[in-house]
Amino acid sequence: MLLPLSYSLRNLRARPGRSLMTAGVIALVVVACTLFLGLISSLKRTFATSGDPLNLVVMRKGSDNDGSSQLSLEAFHAVRFFDGIARDAEDRPLASPELVVQPFFRTRSGGRENVLVRGVEPVALAVHDRVRISEGRMFTPSAHEAVVGRGVLGRYAGAELGNALEFGRGKWKVVGIFDAGSSSFESEVWVDVRELANDAKRTFPYSGIRLRVAAPADLEPLRRRINDDPRYALEAQRETDYYAKQAKSADSLYVLVVGIAVLAGIGAGFGASNTMYAAVQARTAEIGTLRALGFSRRAILSAFEIESVALSGVGFLVGAGCAMGLSLVLEWWIGSVAFGASTFTTSVVTLHVAASDLVGAFVLALIIGVCGGLGPAWRAARLRPIEALRKA
Amino acid sequence: MKYAGLVLANLRRNKLRTALTGGAIMLAVVLVCLLLTMPAGLDALLANATNNTRISVHNKAGIVYSMPQSFVRKVRQVDGVAAAVAMTWFGGAFEEAGRVTFPNFAVEVEHIGAVYPDYPITAQQLADFRRYRDGAIVGRQIMHKYGWKIGDRVTLRSTVWPVNLDFRIVGEIASDIAPLFWMNREYLDQALKAQGRSGLGIAGIIWVRASDPNRVNAIMRTIDDLSRNSEAETACETEKSFFSNFFGSLQGFVTILLIVTALVALCLVFIAANTASMAVRERAGEIAVLKAIGFGRRVIFGTLLAETATLSAFAGGAGVLIAVGLTRALRVFSGWSEALGPLGNFIVTVPVIVQGICLSLLVGLLAGVVPSYGAARKSVAETLHEIF
Repeated sequence: MLLPLSYSLRNLRARPGRSLMTAGVIALVVVACTLFLGLISSLKRTFATSGDPLNLVVMRKGSDNDGSSQLSLEAFHAVRFFDGIARDAEDRPLASPELVVQPFFRTRSGGRENVLVRGVEPVALAVHDRVRISEGRMFTPSAHEAVVGRGVLGRYAGAELGNALEFGRGKWKVVGIFDAGSSSFESEVWVDVRELANDAKRTFPYSGIRLRVAAPADLEPLRRRINDDPRYALEAQRETDYYAKQAKSADSLYVLVVGIAVLAGIGAGFGASNTMYAAVQARTAEIGTLRALGFSRRAILSAFEIESVALSGVGFLVGAGCAMGLSLVLEWWIGSVAFGASTFTTSVVTLHVAASDLVGAFVLALIIGVCGGLGPAWRAARLRPIEALRKA
Repeated sequence: MKYAGLVLANLRRNKLRTALTGGAIMLAVVLVCLLLTMPAGLDALLANATNNTRISVHNKAGIVYSMPQSFVRKVRQVDGVAAAVAMTWFGGAFEEAGRVTFPNFAVEVEHIGAVYPDYPITAQQLADFRRYRDGAIVGRQIMHKYGWKIGDRVTLRSTVWPVNLDFRIVGEIASDIAPLFWMNREYLDQALKAQGRSGLGIAGIIWVRASDPNRVNAIMRTIDDLSRNSEAETACETEKSFFSNFFGSLQGFVTILLIVTALVALCLVFIAANTASMAVRERAGEIAVLKAIGFGRRVIFGTLLAETATLSAFAGGAGVLIAVGLTRALRVFSGWSEALGPLGNFIVTVPVIVQGICLSLLVGLLAGVVPSYGAARKSVAETLHEIF
């Protein structure tokens, strides 16, 4: 016969101070773990979701990012008319020639960061169909106008609708703001490609081409055709692969955070264990009585195990609540976290802790509850009734 | 000290609890130290690697914008400039890594030593750097990471220039502060010319060493004036401001790390306080008897507090030692991680160790104060009444 559930739960209430302390420790671990997992998933959202499965990135062979690639006008005009590229209503190929430059931007706080400025033609909005002008309008070519991503907005001096943004050799009027589903495009500023090439005095007008393929089946043949073309030494890769490679730089961060969470988890497990051991010790007589009454070892073991898991459950709930609250505060206070990637550009990561980030913390809390309670529960179950009663 | 025996005996009374509490505190200290090494890496870079006589000269628009190579000669003419060296980003990817995993620059071999006299490079290594066209000087961390030795040959594929170059390592910057790879500018220039290109006519950054720290500001003004209204206007800054700007974008991450560190420290106090109050509650009767036979409240308070303080000091000390070992290991295994930048240095500075130890002592005191005070304050009759 098992002990009723209420026995375990009432025991938690019997010593509220001690229970609260333990739940508090678990809650803190949950908060720390959730914050870190939230940071990681925000990073992943920014880097890994940037590509479109129907897009190809064309760069010079050997370049690992479009910031360092160079491409000639002839190469662009040749590739533009390859088969398999999607076309718009006016039958123009959806091939976007792009130039990437990373000038200094002044941050609001007086520092400076390298921001990715992408020179594009209006066709870019059709190729990157997740990029959408949410306020204002697209820039007019040759008018020294710019559209800025949501992550850039307000972060740098002059990065507001209607203001003049200063970078490179001149001033650019911000006429629009774009949204790109939290991807890294939102950390970019887009201007006219010819004006940018002029400003940066580039000998090669483009750094790469983004292509949209007509159908998924066209992707591989087109990719091979570009790679095998002997004239221009180009390399095409899926846009999703390109961004996945860029996101790899966050991997060491992942390992670090998981390590931290595990260490903190073990520590909290020790703390929880301690409380449970004390609970067992304080109730030696009670356990003896229960055993004498005929409750089995399994019943005692599960009662204490339930008590410990319930405790970690409370800790998780409290911690989850605090973590969500704290993440709101952080979102408001820090807003976004900037990461300097290996390409020298700043990616603005909007810190957002989602409910899915709580899953990892939940698993951790559960492990703490089960493992932390196991030792004491085992000890309680093994107590011999006569000795237990005598000790008391 | 008279009561040291009592304190130790009390700690030994419930060995399992002492071990669990100590373990929890130890782990928390390990974590806190580990996290503190990251901002410490940034600080160490800014404090040690930067020199108050070194100036960076780069294009006003950004470091990816260049300057004409000829500008470095004009800079050398400026009054008060002891030495100047032009550096150009090579963007070399080491084949095994496939990506650019460390900063590598083409530098003027004859000037580099004079601009970096504070870097631990021997005169012989600098002489070899001048002698061998394909020579390279590499920072210690990179050497460690890839298991390179002086004399090794390595190939870097440039992601900026259309060349792959073979290098022989002729020297090591025997310091963790500069995870750099320097190559001979002439070598790159000739490789480009061999392809029928115009060669390397540009400089990315010019590093200048001033002869006198007091003249740094004047030199910076003069250099900026020299370039005014030219094709490439420059912006000079001190080395310190250059690096703090460069890595400024990591500040948000550091803030989050520090918040987590604070949470972990809070965790620690909770765990220790929890145990201390358990220990006190369990011995309530004993404490009452001690008081009844004449021990003063101060002694009771002191011995109880000493108990938690001793435990957390020992556990914290062990935690600091483990953290030092762990960070050493992390440095060897991870090397200089690009994603973490200088935060990935895991530098255990003396302040980190001191902070770790102070933290554990503070935890012991904080955790012990409340239950010890409660136990010391309660009257004998009250306590005995509760027990019997």
